[in-house]
Amino acid sequence: MGIVTVLWEKWIEFKRDFYKITIAAMMSPLMYLIIFGMGIQTTSHGEPYLNYLIPGIVAMSTMTGSFSAVAQNMSVQRLYEKALDQVMVSPTPLWQFIVGQIIGGSLRGMYAAGIIMLLTAPIRTGLIFNGLSLFIMFLNGTVFSTLALVLSFLAKSYTDAPRFNSYIIMPMTFLCNTFFSTEQMPNGFRQVIAILPLSQASNMIRAISAGMHPDGIGFVILFAYLLIFSTISFVFIYKKKNL
Amino acid sequence: MIEIKDLTKTFDKFTAVDHLNLKIETGEFFGLLGPNGAGKTTTISMMSTVLLPTEGEIRLDGNLLNRTASKEKRKLSVITQEYSMRQDMTMDEVMEYQGRLYFLPKKVIRERTDQWLEFAGLKEYRKRVVRHLSGGMKRKLMVCRALLIEPEILLLDEPTAGMDAISRRQMWNLLRQLNQKGLTIVLTTHYIDEAQSLCDRVALINKGKLNTVDTPDHLIRELGAFAVDEVSDDNLVSRYFHNHSDVIAYMTDHPDATMRATTLEDVFVERVGNRLSKK
Repeated sequence: MGIVTVLWEKWIEFKRDFYKITIAAMMSPLMYLIIFGMGIQTTSHGEPYLNYLIPGIVAMSTMTGSFSAVAQNMSVQRLYEKALDQVMVSPTPLWQFIVGQIIGGSLRGMYAAGIIMLLTAPIRTGLIFNGLSLFIMFLNGTVFSTLALVLSFLAKSYTDAPRFNSYIIMPMTFLCNTFFSTEQMPNGFRQVIAILPLSQASNMIRAISAGMHPDGIGFVILFAYLLIFSTISFVFIYKKKNL
Repeated sequence: MIEIKDLTKTFDKFTAVDHLNLKIETGEFFGLLGPNGAGKTTTISMMSTVLLPTEGEIRLDGNLLNRTASKEKRKLSVITQEYSMRQDMTMDEVMEYQGRLYFLPKKVIRERTDQWLEFAGLKEYRKRVVRHLSGGMKRKLMVCRALLIEPEILLLDEPTAGMDAISRRQMWNLLRQLNQKGLTIVLTTHYIDEAQSLCDRVALINKGKLNTVDTPDHLIRELGAFAVDEVSDDNLVSRYFHNHSDVIAYMTDHPDATMRATTLEDVFVERVGNRLSKK
């Protein structure tokens, strides 16, 4: 099945670049944890700030890990290596290729988040990560993998991938509930930021980590993004005249 | 059979392929010739569904070829002009990826990979990543990859570009053998001698439009089987004759002229190139 083929290809890439991928996944989140969580020690809502920060960093890692795994890879394959041509001409149904990319990207995001969970495990925060947290991490990863697919189909050159990071991923990293609550933002802007996928994923993972139930609307929003982005991906791969 | 009906491709205001109509029979060795920018690669890209036509259609054995046509695509294999493969994979991985994309069993992939890498003299480099291969080795690997799936139709876009003379001849022999076994081959090439030597029929296209389709022999005979070259005002001028006696008569009056057999390249230059000579 085509999905397994794409996952196999992702696995080959992961094995080959294991150290690069692992170090890249660790660096930024670790810096944020050290600087904001340990260097500038403070409290949030009466709790140690680390308790607020760690779930946010975990959610953020699923976003950056998934997005970079797909955006970079697909842009290079499509525009530089032309390796996507090999897939286009093959009998592998293209929807399976898309689904494989989404799952593969999301698993890379979960790997990045898993590293952060492991690194912060010795800090006895008492935070809870359960099966539902993992599901939210996976769901968040699928949203950003799919977004990465859409953008890589729109890219005019393979150097566009880093630009997408600057325009989309970096602002979300800082604004979407990772480091501070969206409640502190001005009215109007707050509502816009709140419906972004990372804000929802952070909220839900944070709620579970504090022993509460996540807000169901978060799932609806994440599924809505997934549906929109995957529909655009399918339209692009089947209908875009000059892929 | 491949049927190309009114195939048109435009990029913004530029028409790369303009209402192209072709029929390529099963088992035929077919050449697509034209100068740079004639629309050859665009045509191959549409046949491999990487590009979708602006107008027109392509049918394989009567069935529409498009991105959802998995059954038709299973028959096709493409060797593109560019090295279209993952640069960070080893040769073995490139072959396995191709086999998996065509749903071949692992055992079959392994056996055929051994067979084709051995044939191409690449077996000892099988663990080397594509990025570290020479241009010729990459080209051979693309051939191995295309043949791994035992296609019914092979689309070749400049397959010998970057190959040395010996490798080119090896490739020609391989393509001849494959065609004799019934493989339909569609070839674009800049090497006109390659097309003359290999193709049953050729289509000459220029500025996206079909100029003519015929056998190389018939095109040559139509122009005149005998060519006479002479230098006039520092330009090489070729004249073509149908009868040997006419050549002898002409050369008696022009002792500096040299006679040779007309080639497909002459036809190409006469029909689609600059008009360098007058008949």
